[in-house]
Formats: sequence, structure tokens, C-alpha cells
Amino acid sequence: MTSSGTPLLELDNVTKYYGNIIALKDVSTHVNAGEVTCVLGDNGAGKSTFIKILAGVHQQTEGDIRVNGESVQFSSPRDALAVGIATVYQDLAMVPLMSVWRNFFLGAEPTKGIGPLKWIDQAKAKSIAKEEMAKMGIDIRDTEQPVGTLSGGERQSVAIARAGYFGAKVLILDEPTSALGVKQSGVVLKRIVEARRQGLAVIFITHNPRHAYPVGNRFLILNRGHSMGSFAKEDISVDELTGLMAGGAELEALEHELHAALD
Amino acid sequence: MSAARGDERLAYRGVFQRLFIRPEIGALLGAVGIWLFFWAVAVPFGNANGAAGILDYASTLGIMAVAVSMLMIGGEFDLSSGASTGAMGMLIILLVKETGDMGGAGLPYVVAIPLSFAVAMAIGFFNGWMVEKTALPSFIITLATFFVLKGAKLGFAKLIVDQIQVGRADEGAGYDFFQKIFAGEWDRTKHVWDTRDAVYLVGVLGGIALVTLAVHEMHFDRRSEGMKQSGLVQFVIGVAGTIAGIAVLHVTDNTTGNWLGAAVIAVGMAVALHGYSTWRFEPAGERGNLMLTTPVVKFAGLGVAALIGFVIAAKAWDANDTSAFIFPWTKQGFRATLMLIFGLSGYTLLMMAVAHAKRTSLATRAAVTMLISVATVALAFFIRSESTAVKFRSEAFGVMLAVALIVAIWAILGLLFTERRRPNSAADHLGGRLVTVGVVAAAIGFVFKLLFTVQAEIDAGIPPVKFSMRIVWFVGFTAVLTWVLGRTRFGSWTFAVGGNKEASRQVGVPAARTKTQLFMLVAGAAWLVGILLAFRLNTIQASTGDGEEFDYIIAAVVGGTLLTGGYGSAFGGSIGAIIVAMATLGIPFSRWNSDWRFLFLGVILLLAVIANRSIRARAEGLRR
Repeated sequence: MTSSGTPLLELDNVTKYYGNIIALKDVSTHVNAGEVTCVLGDNGAGKSTFIKILAGVHQQTEGDIRVNGESVQFSSPRDALAVGIATVYQDLAMVPLMSVWRNFFLGAEPTKGIGPLKWIDQAKAKSIAKEEMAKMGIDIRDTEQPVGTLSGGERQSVAIARAGYFGAKVLILDEPTSALGVKQSGVVLKRIVEARRQGLAVIFITHNPRHAYPVGNRFLILNRGHSMGSFAKEDISVDELTGLMAGGAELEALEHELHAALD
Repeated sequence: MSAARGDERLAYRGVFQRLFIRPEIGALLGAVGIWLFFWAVAVPFGNANGAAGILDYASTLGIMAVAVSMLMIGGEFDLSSGASTGAMGMLIILLVKETGDMGGAGLPYVVAIPLSFAVAMAIGFFNGWMVEKTALPSFIITLATFFVLKGAKLGFAKLIVDQIQVGRADEGAGYDFFQKIFAGEWDRTKHVWDTRDAVYLVGVLGGIALVTLAVHEMHFDRRSEGMKQSGLVQFVIGVAGTIAGIAVLHVTDNTTGNWLGAAVIAVGMAVALHGYSTWRFEPAGERGNLMLTTPVVKFAGLGVAALIGFVIAAKAWDANDTSAFIFPWTKQGFRATLMLIFGLSGYTLLMMAVAHAKRTSLATRAAVTMLISVATVALAFFIRSESTAVKFRSEAFGVMLAVALIVAIWAILGLLFTERRRPNSAADHLGGRLVTVGVVAAAIGFVFKLLFTVQAEIDAGIPPVKFSMRIVWFVGFTAVLTWVLGRTRFGSWTFAVGGNKEASRQVGVPAARTKTQLFMLVAGAAWLVGILLAFRLNTIQASTGDGEEFDYIIAAVVGGTLLTGGYGSAFGGSIGAIIVAMATLGIPFSRWNSDWRFLFLGVILLLAVIANRSIRARAEGLRR
């Protein structure tokens, strides 16, 4: 344990069944403010189920989720948002044809007006969006440009900046680097470090240990719905991480096969 | 050539690209094109009588098209919208109709109007709620509602009054008061105002001037070392000269005087625009040499050839011959169609030549732009010499010369000042404001021209022209919904649920509620149109409105709204309605066989969808 006191978010033996299928079995980990916990796993490892439980889309069958030591039960995404858990999905939850500032404030637009007649305070919305993006190190020249014209990394940054601005304490990032090139991935990893520095607890879901290792403080490895353990950074190396992720022995066998095929 | 300032890999967008990247621009240009086409062949286009007819036809269609545009932006359809206009009209008549054997409920209008509104809201809520609850396509749900309404109209009409029509809206209590609100008329012939033409002139010319300045503001780079005051002085002198020229043009009434006035205007405008640019913009650096690359020569050559084709087409047939020619055209119609095609393609090709010239050098661009100006002058003189009609001899001639002048000045200023290649939101903001004020000024000019007459027109014995109240409802409804769509949370959410419903739900947009409200909005529009119809027609047929839902969808799509949702504008829907109205009425106005109306509409729809596709691709930032 690297930190003291109660973790911001803690999972204790969380289990999820879909009918008779075990999607997630006895998963435990935690994340502190200002830290990054990486959730690693290959396709079908249960990462999606893990996110959906934390985001309030699904409910766990067994086990306990605690926020600041208090047990919580989410029945909808709104509940999760209300305690400060914001999820940035792989598909980004953005409307490509809408402008940057409209996307930034979508669902929580600042308004002004008289009585029931209210309109969006556009000047305020635009300047805040520009400012928050600048904090992330991205210079949006024109907040009127459609989100569809931004690069993948910039879009991720809008989503992360938005979550931070609306008071998220825990940020869940679902495979933010999977669709990006090398340089863009670097941009997003820098955002993660930036969010951590600002005191957010980050849960970074990925299948790429090389992206996870440099930014993570703690690593939870999932394989076919089972937890392979939750490790602090000092207890594990990047190679061990890769090995565990693919189920160790399986990867070794694969390597032999590949060598044989190549020879 | 351009130093890459800023950190962006994106190419900088030119001023016209920036101005034109709006959903309704295609429709606006289309409306101008179609208007010009019919203006050239049909007498009522261009006079107040024709305008009253077109706006009248467009207004009920437009109220629905604006609401349907919003629903379509929200990603849904409403096939029951046409039938509900008739149903609402019928309902209100049944509510106010005198009681008795073949009568209605006998309610006063003050009760019947809110009551029918409540019914409309219930229908809209039902549509939205069903679509949300069943998650079936709105196409299917509202098709069912359409049949229910169609059946209910006929069934209740037969049941209650034993006819397929329900009549006598004027039997209701309070009819006279509400008739003024919903079906009152403005009789133009009774409103004589002799300074009208001055207001019209100031509005339209001022509007053109402001838009011209806006284009300059958005195109050129601001001076790096502050404003140059001598330029401002020159600008003021130039403006004064232009105004003096216009005065000369108006006071004199002979050819020499006209030419003198025109010359003073031309010099004044050149001096003013040059002064304005000197005042604010950075002088040009490198101009480059005149380089006629293959694409430039090719497109310029083809463009000039097309304009020569325009001249040949105009010469080949008699403009007044309405006898049948190549099926389905009359000779007159065939000539007009050919001229339109040649004219449009000629200018399109010349503009493509400019786009290619831009890539070689400033000097080449200026040369090709100047070619457009010269060609326009030549065409202006040709049209004047060919025609006997006053609208070609004076109006078209004057407008074309003015356009040629502005283009020529633009070509020269492009050589003298530096084009902006970096974003400047202050300049773009100012440009945007100038465009808005300019368009509003021109619109006010036109409105006064339409609403008032002058003694000279009365003396000449013009036929009476009446504008209906429904036009005011149309304009007001469009204005309110344009504001709602662009400025309110509901508007933002409409785009969001149409663009990516799952995403908007995830960030907390009440998607189901927004969609239901959109269905209720369409139902509310149908209620308004139903009342307008009831007061206009006095009797509503059981079939009134059936099938018109496709006209609304056509108008919305022509207006730039995407069939798949997430993109479009309410204002575009109103322009789309005017286009449909022009296409519908233009054919009989031109004394062509109106059986071809739907063919014409179909072609317009196809062209609009293709144009919208490319506009959307640009908005999404896709290349090619």
C-alpha cells in the first residue's frame, strides 16, 4: 500500500453473473486520489463488465463497492455521476457534428434568462471550454468547429477535460489509446498524468501494458473474468505484467509456436 | 507561399468556405437560382402579386416544414403530420359549429382553441411516447397514427354531419375577432407611401454594401502596425461619391445622365473600397507572375464557351414562343432551361478556374477574376440588347453591371492587400455581424417594397395585392424556432439526440423527453396550420392534408436538414418551403403544363440531397 487512509474508490470481491455466465469473479482493487489504477486484460477478460458496474450501467451480483469507505449501490449512470465517478467511453459519448463547446457542455449547458425563458450563455460556455482545454494543453482555435474535425487524441482530451470540469473525482477511461497512433497515444497518456496531478483518481482500462506501466500506480489484471491480482507498481515489472495479462503459460506456448512457424 | 503560423496542419479556410459552411446556404443559393429562372420566364415573379402568392402557399407548408426540420434533426419522422393538419382544422370546426341535428359542440372559439391545442399535444405525446416505449422506427409508429387520423377524419365527418366535409367555421362565437388574427389581410393597394422607394433603395444598397465590407473584413489580414487613418478619410470620400452618383442616377432621367451617374458610382465604390482596405488591411507582399497553367486555361476556356452557349441559346429561339417543342418543353421553356444550364455551368466553371488560379499566383487569380467581371459586363449588354422587357433592359442590366463592378474591384484589391491565412476571431466576428445587419437591412427594404405601394403604381392601374396573416405566422414561427434551435438547451439537445442518441444519454441529456417534445412540437405546428386552414377555407375536407407530410420532408431536406438526423436548420426548412412553393407555382405562372410539377420537385429533391451530402462531409471535416 502506497497511500494512507481510506481509498477514494474500493472494490471488494465484486462478482457479476449474466445468467449462468460468470462475467466477473471476485475482483478487488482500489484507487486513491491523485493515483492511476490500470485495469489490464485481453479481449473478453471482463473489462467492459468492470466499467459498466462502476459507471452504474449494470449492478454487481455480489461484492461491495465503497466510495470514501461508504458502501454504495448504483442503479443508474446518474447515481455514479452523482458521487463523482465519470466514465469516458471508448466511443467518447460525443456528437461529431456538434461544435466543441456544445459537446463540452452537453447535458449541463450554462443558461441565463428571465423566468422560464432561458437560453444558453454562449459566451461563457465558449470561454470556459477554451480555458479548460488550454489547461489540458490543447489550444482549440475555434470552439465552434465540429468535434468530428478534431483528431482522436484531441477528442479524448475534450472528454477528459469535460469530466474534470464537471467535478469528477474518479475518472474511468475505457481504452482511450486503443484507436490512436503512437503520437496521439502519447498525447492522451500526458492527459492522464495531468489529470492525476490535478488530484483525480483515474481508472485506466487498456490491453496495452506498455501504455499502462509508465502512468499507473497500481495494476489490476483480469483474465477470462477472473482477477489475476492487484499489484502496486513496485511489486511488478512490465514483462511480468504482460505475462500475467495473457495468462502466462498461454503466452509462452504461443511464443514457441510462433518461433516454430518462423523457423 | 504562406508562412505556416500556428500549429495546425489543417489548411486555412477561405472566406467563402467559412461563410458557406452552414446547412441552409445550399437552400438559399438554390432559392435565388430558382427565383432567377422563373423571374426570367414568368411575369408574376418579381412583382408583389407573385410574391404574395408564393409566400401564401409557402406559409402553411413552411410552418410544418420548420417543425418537421427540427424533428428530423432530432432523428425522427412524423408521417402523421400531414393528416393531423386536416384533423385539427376539422376538430376546431366541429367544436365551434352550432349544436343541432347536423351540428357540432357549439363552443366559443376562446374555449375551442385551447381545447384543440390540448388534443394536438396529446397526439404528439402519443407519437413520441410510443416511439420511445416500443423502440420501433418512428416511420412505422407515425404511419399507424396517420391511418388512425385519416380514418377518424372520414368516420367522424360521416357520423356527425353525414358528409365528407365539415363546414362553417364562421358559425363559431368569436369568429370575427379570431378571423382577423388567423386570416386577416393586408391590402397593399390601400397603403400608399411615396417614400417607399427611398427606403427600399437604402435598405438594399446598404445591405449589399455591408455584406461586401464583411467579405473584405473576413478575407484580408489586419494591418500589423495599427489602422491607417488616411484610408478612413478616403473611404468616407468614396462613400460620399457613391451616394452622389446614386442621387444623379435618380434625379436625371435620360441616357447621358444615367451613364454619368453610373460612372460616378463606379469610381466612388472603387475609391471607398480601396480606402477601407488601406485603412484596415496589410498591404500585399509577393504577387507572383501571371502563370496560365493547364487547369486554369481549361476551366476558364470551358466557362467562356458555356457563356457563349448561353448567347447562342438565347438567339436560337423566340423568347415568347409558347408552342410545344421537344417533349416536355415549350420553345420558351426549352430556351430558358438551356440558358439556365449554360449560365450556371459557365459561372461554375469560371469559379473553378479561379480556385485553380489561386494555387498558382495572386496575379493569375486576379486575371481570372477580372475575366468573370468582363464576361458579366458583356452578358449584361447582350441581355439588354436582346430583350424588350423592362425587367431585363433596366433591372437585370443594372444588377449585372453592379456585380461586375464589385468583382472587378475585388480582383484588384486582391493584388494590393494580403489575404489572411490565420484565424482571427475578432475579424470573423465583425464580419458575421456585418453580414447579419446587411441581410436584415436588405430584407427590410424588400418588405417595405412589398407592403406599400406608390401613387404612380396606383395610377398605372396595378391589380390589387393582398398579403395574408398566415405569412406573419410563418415568419414568426420560423424566427422563434430558429432561436430555440440555436440558442437554447432544448435546441442543443435536439442536435445531440439526432446526432448520437446513446452518447447524449450518457452525458445526461434526457433523450426520450427531448424526442417526445419534438413530436409535440410538430403536432403543435399541425394545430396552428389546422386553424389557419379552417379560417381560410371555412370548410375542411376529410382528405385535407393527407399526403402532404412528404412535402414537409422534401422542404426540410431541400433546406439542408439531414435525413439521418443531427444536422440541419429550422431557417433552412422555411427556405425549403419557399423553394417548393416557387417550383409549384412557377410552372403555371410560366404558362407551362402543371402536370410536370412533381417531376420538377423530384429533380430539386435529388439535387438538394446531393448538395447536402457534400456540405455535411465538409462540416465533418472529411476530405473528398
